[in-house]
Amino acid sequence: MANEAAAHDHHDDHKPAFWTRWLCSTNHKDIGTLYLATSMIAAIVGGLMSWYLRLELAEPGIQFIDDFQFYNVLVTAHGFVMVFFVVMPAMIGGFGNWFVPLMIGAPDMAFPRMNNISFWLLAAGLILLIMSALIGDGPGTGWTVYPPLSSSDFHPGPSVDFGILALHVAGASSILGAINLIVTIFNMRAPGMTIHRMPLFVWAILITAILLLLALPVLAGALTMLLTDRNFGTAFFNPAEGGDPILWQHLFWFFGHPEVYIIILPAFGIISQVISTFSRKPIFGYLGMAYAMSAIGVVGFVVWAHHMYTVGLSVDTRAYFTAATMVIAVPTGIKIFSWLATMWGGSIKLEVPMLYALAFIFLFVVGGVTGITLANASADLVMHDTYYVVAHFHYVMGLAAILGMFSGFYYWIGKMSGRQYPQALSKLQFWVFIIGVNILFFPQHFSGLAGMPRRIPDYPDAYAGWNYLSSVGALITAVGTILFFVVLWKTLRSGEKVADNQWGEGATTLEWTVASPAPFHTFEDSPDMTGKAPAE
Amino acid sequence: MSKRVQKNGRFAFILFALVGGMIGLSFASVPLYRLFCQVTGYGGTPQIQAEAEPPSVSERVIKVQFDANTNPKLPWRFKPLQREVTVKLGEEALVFFEAENLSDKSTMGRATFNVTPYKVGLYFNKVDCFCFDEQVLKAGQVVPMPVQFFVDPEIFDDPTTKEVKTITLSYTFFQAEDETVSDNVTDRSTEVEVSLRAVARDVVNTF
Repeated sequence: MANEAAAHDHHDDHKPAFWTRWLCSTNHKDIGTLYLATSMIAAIVGGLMSWYLRLELAEPGIQFIDDFQFYNVLVTAHGFVMVFFVVMPAMIGGFGNWFVPLMIGAPDMAFPRMNNISFWLLAAGLILLIMSALIGDGPGTGWTVYPPLSSSDFHPGPSVDFGILALHVAGASSILGAINLIVTIFNMRAPGMTIHRMPLFVWAILITAILLLLALPVLAGALTMLLTDRNFGTAFFNPAEGGDPILWQHLFWFFGHPEVYIIILPAFGIISQVISTFSRKPIFGYLGMAYAMSAIGVVGFVVWAHHMYTVGLSVDTRAYFTAATMVIAVPTGIKIFSWLATMWGGSIKLEVPMLYALAFIFLFVVGGVTGITLANASADLVMHDTYYVVAHFHYVMGLAAILGMFSGFYYWIGKMSGRQYPQALSKLQFWVFIIGVNILFFPQHFSGLAGMPRRIPDYPDAYAGWNYLSSVGALITAVGTILFFVVLWKTLRSGEKVADNQWGEGATTLEWTVASPAPFHTFEDSPDMTGKAPAE
Repeated sequence: MSKRVQKNGRFAFILFALVGGMIGLSFASVPLYRLFCQVTGYGGTPQIQAEAEPPSVSERVIKVQFDANTNPKLPWRFKPLQREVTVKLGEEALVFFEAENLSDKSTMGRATFNVTPYKVGLYFNKVDCFCFDEQVLKAGQVVPMPVQFFVDPEIFDDPTTKEVKTITLSYTFFQAEDETVSDNVTDRSTEVEVSLRAVARDVVNTF
């Protein structure tokens, strides 16, 4: 590969042959494309699972899934696929790989071959995860994998072990990716692009990568303990031999809470770029935005037990975790305020990425408000494990993340493919999707407050109305998702060619200074950013 | 170029070390968690005072109730021989539970324990307890299980625990090993057992 790369130094756009290019790729743009494609495939898998769940839940009683273990397997796999194989690959692996080097004026990532390993480990992890659901009874543990449910007493077959292996492999992939991004961002910025001049998307990815680096090893450690508990007779989580199942919850959520910020921070970054571009103004309070994200990252590590209010924490502990959790609303509020202030007085163009950014703010605020409700330990005792929680986290990390990804897709597809998305169809896709997800998830607040529990395929007739509405919303969302793939197809097949900077004066970051589609090799000579304004 | 590669490599090495450190910390959390619970009485972890100085006995009294549970995997019947006792703060009390092996094999059990409300864990002191060791019961054997404890009078000086009138001491017996224990394990001699039962009954009768 090194020889080949050297041979290509002089002609920018000479690409390797198909198999070499896509299987052995070391080019950040190709690997980014692979990540995005994987994410889309995984999204179809995870989406089909959730639509099947909604189909069962459309009416009380059991219609389609009479094997309740299988229902739980679907719930589990849906969660894992969406978190580890849709959002993370698209945000960090996809957009991160594509645009971090472009935005900081670097020729590629710091470790191009490690980048390749990261991607293929992820692909292997996805296959292992799907295998885990197909082998034996499947893991019906939920994505939180709490023992004793996940212990060999209650999941005797090999499927949980496969799931653990899948997460180990996907975790290794993410850790390698995070190291690559951190080194790239710290060591490979163009001269003059100081830390305080980096675009906010790069800031977001940097903080995300640091969170990954600190949180994922804890999950790996906990999973290893669970694996040895299941197979080698240790008793980390087995009270009969001196272990403690609550320890799992502490370790899992020490990873799990930062994980939700890992999912949403890159979306913050994308939304900042998009709002600045389409308001034709620099982002309001650039430094405040950057350090608000840092603060979210720091505080995110000391609030984990708000997922465990019902395990029997002392009153003082619950008081602390309630207060600490609410503190997160402050930096988040700074971000919302700054986005609104950026738009204030701006020359706003409602292009599709901007529509998604506005919808992102709306949905994220809805999710944030229910989050403040749930942060109260006393109120959470009632709402724990109800659909209220389901509605909350789907708004705040599911929908918000997906809208961030859609916004990024429409924003950058011109740069990635050189072609413009079809305007009318894309706007239709936006409206169908946004109406669909709100009809899907908003009623779940009501059924949750009425006491409908999570992870149960059947429910009393009292919850029938909201569940039916929710399933109708799922159907509309499915139409919106299909429309997205039509948009993708039309863009790649017959989209118009776009200019190098298709968004005009608002788009000030470095990726808009290269050709569209971005050439195979870019910034082999670093651009000089000395003395230029912060590229926000 | 090679200088940059070196610099990147060194940085990546540090980051890998950080990952290793976090994995290490996650395993270190096991002893740390235990230590934390013991030191702070977190989650109702009682204090263990095998050679405690007898504290000054206060005139105030507190009610201690007893709760016994058995994991279904362990074929034992396990119950307290008294529902509750009222003790003076600082006074050592001896109470008995009773376990009976319902199966026709010797089995080994181990009990986990805590007190509620959780916040009194710091002031509930165990001097001696059957739960400190694994217990072996032969087929059909009935054994009294003694617990010796006192409640630290400081419980009344702490404003957060001052209002506590009742403490519940709870045990759950689990099977200690998957295999059943062979019958020739050294066990308590029958005489000791008989005398212990007599003591137990005396103690119970005094309350």
